[in-house]
Amino acid sequence: MEKERKPKNIFVQGPISPEKIAQSIANHAIKTDIGGHSIFLGQIRADEKPEGKVIAIDYTAYEEMALEKAFEIREAIFAKYPLTCMHIYHSLGEIKVGEICLFVFTSSKHRKAAMEACDELVERIKAELPVWGREILDTEGHVWKVNT
Amino acid sequence: MPDVIQIKAFGMIAEAIGSDSLEIENPGTSLALKKQLEAQFPGLKSMKFSLAVDKKMIQEDTDISQGKEIALLPPFSGG
Repeated sequence: MEKERKPKNIFVQGPISPEKIAQSIANHAIKTDIGGHSIFLGQIRADEKPEGKVIAIDYTAYEEMALEKAFEIREAIFAKYPLTCMHIYHSLGEIKVGEICLFVFTSSKHRKAAMEACDELVERIKAELPVWGREILDTEGHVWKVNT
Repeated sequence: MPDVIQIKAFGMIAEAIGSDSLEIENPGTSLALKKQLEAQFPGLKSMKFSLAVDKKMIQEDTDISQGKEIALLPPFSGG
């Protein structure tokens, strides 16, 4: 029987720790039908802007809408690829350069489905979730992040 | 009782209007609302933003009835 899926909270206050990522991988050891994982990690880059150098990004979101949208995307990806599981975590609040702000994790029997699903998830998260990054600069000013 | 709507604002739009929420008299449609906001906050004229009604992005002019949740959304930049 198909497991009923409900909207999950994808938001994490602050950076996503490497320990959380390691623990998440370890949690899959009992799922022995998995043959491949694909992981995407978004890291805050020290971008050089005309106004200054980025030292952190402060993320805010329209959380209720983002969770509804994330659920819709999640269902669509599950319908499209034969995945065993899928996890999405996005940071809120101030994340410093070098820290992880996005963790997308897909698993399947075979690598191709996991890799393609992970790629599509990241693209859709960046394009469709109502989340905004305020780039904090070393000049004490800020600029609003623009996704390319 | 006047038909007043609650509006949420995010990102650079919240910054431009100086608040993450505001209350205005309902102009009736999304297009009229956008015009009214641009008149009230001229800084918005040069900014790109979309409207969401009850957490759904709207593409064309939409009636706004009382009790709807309206949000002003600048281009997304998550990830």
